[in-house]
Amino acid sequence: MLRVSLREIRAHGVRFALSVLAVILGVAFVAGTFILRAMLSDTFDSIVESSLQGDAYLRSVATTSDDGLPDGPPDPGAGFGGARDGIDITLADEVAAVDGVARALPDVQGPIVIVGADGTAVVNGQAPSLALALHTDDPAVDLVAGEVPVGPNEIGLESGALDSSGLALGDTTTVVLGGEVREVTVVAEGAYASPTSGATLAFLDADVAAELFAPDGLVNSIAVYGEDAVSQSDLVDAITETVLADHPDANLEARTGDDVRAEASEAINEIIGFIGTFLLVFASIALFVGAFIITNTFAMSVRQRQREYALLRALGASPAQVFAVVLTQAFAVGLVGSAIGLLSGVALVDLIRWILSRFGMNLTGEAPVTAFTAVLCLGIGTAVSLVAAAVPARRAALTAPVEAMRDDVTVTEKSLRWRALVGALLLLIGVAATYVSVAVSTDEDPYWGLEPGPWLGIGAGAVLVGMLALSPVIARATLGVLAAPFVAAIKPLGRLARGNVMRNPRRTASTAGALMIGMALVAACTVLAASARESTTAIVETEYRADFVVLSATNAVPAEAVTAIADLDDVARADALSTAPVELSGPGLDPTATTVIGAPPTAFGTTLEIETLEGDLATLADGEAALHTSAALEYGWQIGDEITLRTDVTELTLTVGAITNSQALNADVTIGEDQLAELLGPAPANVVMVGVDGVDGVPLTELGDQLDAIIEPYVVVTALTADELVNQIADRVNQALVIIYALLALSVVIAVLGIVNTLALSVIERTREIGLIRAVGLGRLQLSVTIVIESVLTAIFGTVVGVVVGVALAAAVRSVFADQGLSVLAIPWDQLVAIVALSAVVGVLAAVWPAIRASRLPVLEAIAQE
Amino acid sequence: MGRHAAPVSTSPEPADDPIASARALTKVYGAGATAVHALRGVDVDLGRGRLTAIMGPSGSGKSTLMHCMAGLDTPTSGTVEVDGQVISSMSQRQLTNLRRTRIGFVFQAYNLVPTLTAAENITLPLDIARTPVDRERFDTVISTLGLGDRLTHRPAELSGGQQQRVACARALVAKPSIVFADEPTGNLDSKAAGEVLGFLRRSVDDLGQSVVMVTHDPRSASYAHRVIFLADGAIVGELHDPAEADILEALAALGEAREQDAS
Repeated sequence: MLRVSLREIRAHGVRFALSVLAVILGVAFVAGTFILRAMLSDTFDSIVESSLQGDAYLRSVATTSDDGLPDGPPDPGAGFGGARDGIDITLADEVAAVDGVARALPDVQGPIVIVGADGTAVVNGQAPSLALALHTDDPAVDLVAGEVPVGPNEIGLESGALDSSGLALGDTTTVVLGGEVREVTVVAEGAYASPTSGATLAFLDADVAAELFAPDGLVNSIAVYGEDAVSQSDLVDAITETVLADHPDANLEARTGDDVRAEASEAINEIIGFIGTFLLVFASIALFVGAFIITNTFAMSVRQRQREYALLRALGASPAQVFAVVLTQAFAVGLVGSAIGLLSGVALVDLIRWILSRFGMNLTGEAPVTAFTAVLCLGIGTAVSLVAAAVPARRAALTAPVEAMRDDVTVTEKSLRWRALVGALLLLIGVAATYVSVAVSTDEDPYWGLEPGPWLGIGAGAVLVGMLALSPVIARATLGVLAAPFVAAIKPLGRLARGNVMRNPRRTASTAGALMIGMALVAACTVLAASARESTTAIVETEYRADFVVLSATNAVPAEAVTAIADLDDVARADALSTAPVELSGPGLDPTATTVIGAPPTAFGTTLEIETLEGDLATLADGEAALHTSAALEYGWQIGDEITLRTDVTELTLTVGAITNSQALNADVTIGEDQLAELLGPAPANVVMVGVDGVDGVPLTELGDQLDAIIEPYVVVTALTADELVNQIADRVNQALVIIYALLALSVVIAVLGIVNTLALSVIERTREIGLIRAVGLGRLQLSVTIVIESVLTAIFGTVVGVVVGVALAAAVRSVFADQGLSVLAIPWDQLVAIVALSAVVGVLAAVWPAIRASRLPVLEAIAQE
Repeated sequence: MGRHAAPVSTSPEPADDPIASARALTKVYGAGATAVHALRGVDVDLGRGRLTAIMGPSGSGKSTLMHCMAGLDTPTSGTVEVDGQVISSMSQRQLTNLRRTRIGFVFQAYNLVPTLTAAENITLPLDIARTPVDRERFDTVISTLGLGDRLTHRPAELSGGQQQRVACARALVAKPSIVFADEPTGNLDSKAAGEVLGFLRRSVDDLGQSVVMVTHDPRSASYAHRVIFLADGAIVGELHDPAEADILEALAALGEAREQDAS
């Protein structure tokens, strides 16, 4: 029996080729994701290893747990493992005096902008630029060349940063440090034991760094290096007995280096996990779409071999044995596909690594294929293949043995009634669940006890699956309409093609179904992106009323620049929005790390025009706070509630005076700039934006020129008009959309392969029929055109249904997230029409190979073929 | 029924120790006004170690009778017994097992698995049943059929007659209690047909096999020990060790009777 199964694959291997390809693509995606995740994890682990080389660390006890953090990657400002207070930098000297301690180095680091040899800032994508204190004989850094920087006008650069800056030792360049522009000389090249994953690193004199980044004398932690032969735990014990005992009120803790490194790795792996999960979602979509190809291939192969299976049954094979014959083929397809897919995944990661390295981000080691990854990928590919082939296999197994005796194999099409019923039910459930999610999210009283998210997920899933189940039912009618222009325009081929696609609605629907899923997602993303763009630009246009908005690529406008702008004679207002990390608490909320925005209260109504949902932003002048509506909803706070903000320096309790839904004030809490200064003490505020209004009568271009003159030395700072800001935001949305399109593209490609597959197989299946119509006079070209029309109809059918579903779901998603910035629903009709038009082109491309095949069939042999 | 017997008939006498028998067998396809009565209460015994031919015009129910007796189709009412076992009430699982062990089939044509060689096709029923091949039996069957030099060929490389001989070998190799052949010579030229029929007869005479064959070709039927005539779902006559001429005569009489009946 195994022989029957394998021989069939050998004899008709080509028929399974596209199924194998579908598995390869899906599994390559999955394998690539796992390998990339492992590689990123390895890379970051080694970064942790080399940047945290201390044998022990002294720091304060975490004041918040990271459980309180909002979803998504942890806020880097809060640090890993929850927010911690700073500790006194002078503790380093006390620690250094402890027995067994060789050195105790406070961790001092902060942002820096380095101007490279070409006059532009040395930046590497989204990776940060950091300046760190470099101590003499620093154990963490290997001094490759030069001397440790001394004084404010010397810096060192990490080898990678030195390369990408184009600078050499001895060169002078400009840096922006702590809001000041400084001329410095590069005096050192330092190296870490592992790659820095793109971060641009510079080294400073330790005292200069402390002055800059720890002006209040507080640092995050102190790294302790033990003398030889002192174990990490002995070191921790020694520090606990001495330093910690001397400062019982300082809330200090000492931890071994291994513990701290493990903690950091864990936190980083969590973020990498998010990326992996995100990619896996797209990989699953690709595999799901690939399953359609497999189902179709096996359905058609079973149909053609009905007689053979009947023969096996007549010869005494049990249904289970026939089932096994078909599943064995599926197993082979799955196994071969996933094995090649696994190798392709490795190649894919190598390609990604090569691309990343071109952008200066080096990943460690070889692409690691663990046994787990290999087994998982082979398992997934094989399982998908087996599941996809199960229904056709069941059909083969249930072939009546008497079929073997009949001259004509009559393939009885089962009624679509059950499909229609189940599909309609699922669709109904989906629509209902979606409706619940929209209703819950727009309801004034959020305490229905229902979260919109899960309902939206269930709703979207049920609608998609319901439409898949329903699509054969609606195929006949929909295809009839779609085919009408072809029938009218291309006689008689349009009619022939329509007959072919409508004859087996199940097959047409499942071929189109694969495309439907991909296109539904593409359409949904397109609509959501357009809505996001419209919503954001609408808000930006209303909120940002300043003539110019000054922003920095590093999200920190230097303090010097802010002052200089405010001092310009032609500037009437220069309103700086600053941010600071704080701990937020209030009714029902334990201290939680978050970010607060400080704004001059007079900015509202002048450079910023912000509508409040409740209350009044003018109350900020009286020392009250404004909440963002998402925070108000999440924590259940209202106007008049008292909230507490705490920093290392002090603690403020404020009354909530306004609730906004602002894009500009996108932090949980906004307070007056005076209150922020109070919270920060001597530390400088981090200015994220300056709204600049000119004095009446000064031409905008002139003001712009003056601003440009001031910000030019800071390299990464720009002054934008409202229009330019809108464009910049739109660009950012478009970039995100491009990435998602690229990830969805694979699903669409697999879906197109599905069309090729179905057409090619149906040409084989219809060989005799094609011979007949060719014999009665249909030309080769006419035959090809017929097949092209079939293909186009199938592609358009899938796309149209997908786009309708996608737009409907996107509209629901938009309503649910209306509070979180998606205030406007924008349906980009031109883009949707372009998607449908593109699908017609795709249909033509998919038909090329099957059409050529069909037209080459020799007429006589085609008729003679049984 | 009210149907008069064809003039050539002798009453269908029960054979001693039948290999298969049917009692009051009816088969109705469809229901209501469109119901087709393929079998209308057939009683028949098929002799052990005999070659029996079932003849009749198209739509007479001869194929349905064979399908029901072979357990390929389930009768509407009545009982079927094969080699002492009542199969008309068997479950699908039992029927599958029965086909494996007791019954061999020879079909009209195109019923070899195209991807397997001749030898593999022949041993397919044994492979399905996971029974080891009895080499002696295999060799006997192969040499009787003269297939020795064709064993490694695929069906596509064999002539129609050779294909059908492979099919015969496949039916016989598992030593079934009974072999059913459905128009075994339907697609063959007369020379090839003669070879196949000669072999079927030899398998009965030399190997003691019981064979039932459905045919509408009088020459094929003349190889049989006994010919049963069917018309409109009922047995209307039979002949023993007939010559081709006898069969033609009987068929002619049957045709006349039908014409009279129709008029």
